[in-house]
Amino acid sequence: MIAIIDYGVGNVRSVFNMLDLLGHRPVVTRDPSAIADASHIILPGVGAFAEAMGNLERLELKGVLEREVLGQGKPCLGICLGMQLLARTGTERGVTSGLGWIDARVERLADAPGIQIPHMGWNAVERRRPHPVLDSFPAAPPPTFYYVHSYHMVCADPADVVATTRHGVEFVAAVARDNILGVQFHPEKSQDNGIRFYRDFLRWRS
Amino acid sequence: MVKRRIIPKFLYQNGCLVKYVRFHETRRLGGAPVSTARIYNDYGADEFIILDLSPPDEDRSAFLGVIEEMSREIFMPFTVGGNIRSIDAIYDLLRAGADKVTLNTALVTDPGLVAEAVRVFGSQCIVASIDYTGVPSGRVMVEGGRTATPWTPLEMARRAEAMGCGEILLTAIDRDGTRLGFDLEHGRAVQEAVRVPVVLSGGCGGYQDCRAAFEAGLPAVAISSVFLFTDQSPIKLRTHLFSAGVDVRPGHGSRI
Repeated sequence: MIAIIDYGVGNVRSVFNMLDLLGHRPVVTRDPSAIADASHIILPGVGAFAEAMGNLERLELKGVLEREVLGQGKPCLGICLGMQLLARTGTERGVTSGLGWIDARVERLADAPGIQIPHMGWNAVERRRPHPVLDSFPAAPPPTFYYVHSYHMVCADPADVVATTRHGVEFVAAVARDNILGVQFHPEKSQDNGIRFYRDFLRWRS
Repeated sequence: MVKRRIIPKFLYQNGCLVKYVRFHETRRLGGAPVSTARIYNDYGADEFIILDLSPPDEDRSAFLGVIEEMSREIFMPFTVGGNIRSIDAIYDLLRAGADKVTLNTALVTDPGLVAEAVRVFGSQCIVASIDYTGVPSGRVMVEGGRTATPWTPLEMARRAEAMGCGEILLTAIDRDGTRLGFDLEHGRAVQEAVRVPVVLSGGCGGYQDCRAAFEAGLPAVAISSVFLFTDQSPIKLRTHLFSAGVDVRPGHGSRI
């Protein structure tokens, strides 16, 4: 069973619909026992860092997520803001502590001439190291995924960076450590590339 | 770099898609909303926009049902607008599966709602839909193009950005449904005045117009008549643009 964490931010329906298309019956939940029963954990998210982290704490989800992901080693996917929450620190609407599972900081995308922010639309994802969930995509041309964000993750350890994308500057598109994977793009909004991504995520470590 | 976007934009009224010329003339039917959205998903359209033209006092549940069904069928981002007057209305649309919502009249009549929507749902979710008439000197119109405001499109775009909107859908009413080409002058000027992406809408007649808009610096275009009433599809359009060296996604469809 796959648990999509419901912590009051973002469009969880599209993640649910994608998994449903792949023949799974995910649960959208904030119930610790359902999360404990899950084989895979998905942390979705659209919205602001500080509010999202506040919700995780208020709903007492931090503890159960740490137990299941760090303790039990369940495959965990963070999407967009859900990826950013994996970092130590966020800087959106004040400095806030994140989950701290990845040694990273979340910062606003740098302004540059002719570059629109939010970064909105389809962009190429260039792999920087192998990862089972991205390895089935061709290296050239790189696959495109849909993005919508104004903040990005800055990793302290380059070994955590799985893929990058350019929007004015180069930023981290995918980050991974052990059983944890975070992606800045929205695979559930990325048509056939997204389907392939979720298929490979569900095969990963299971 | 981020790919230039081609976005089918459709209007909803009484259960089906409709298309007018210059907002109010020559009503034509455009097909069933959910199956149309599905076709454009299969074509690999970059996004999808659907705007509800129903009267403001009409029951919203049928439209919400359409959005919910649509979200099960398509795996691309979609923006929903029309008659949004409260935070609850936005919440209902997002819960039904919309990714972004557009606000138009509220930009003028209720800027507080716009700012609150940005605070609650995030900039990336709130699109300012700016309709204007009068090329070259534009005047922003609200209430479905019926009510004039004191603002130029440029002023309104800056205000919308200051309210926190994450994207601007800029529609030239005079070009709407005519296929005479985009109003590139306003498109360029507005995009140069704001940091957020501008989607240029109104008047697309085909591939040359898309190319001209992208060359004028616009990151995205919205298209309806060309898709509804000609044999153009997002695949054909993208194939043309891609071979002309425009940075769009290659012209294959989605395999869903």
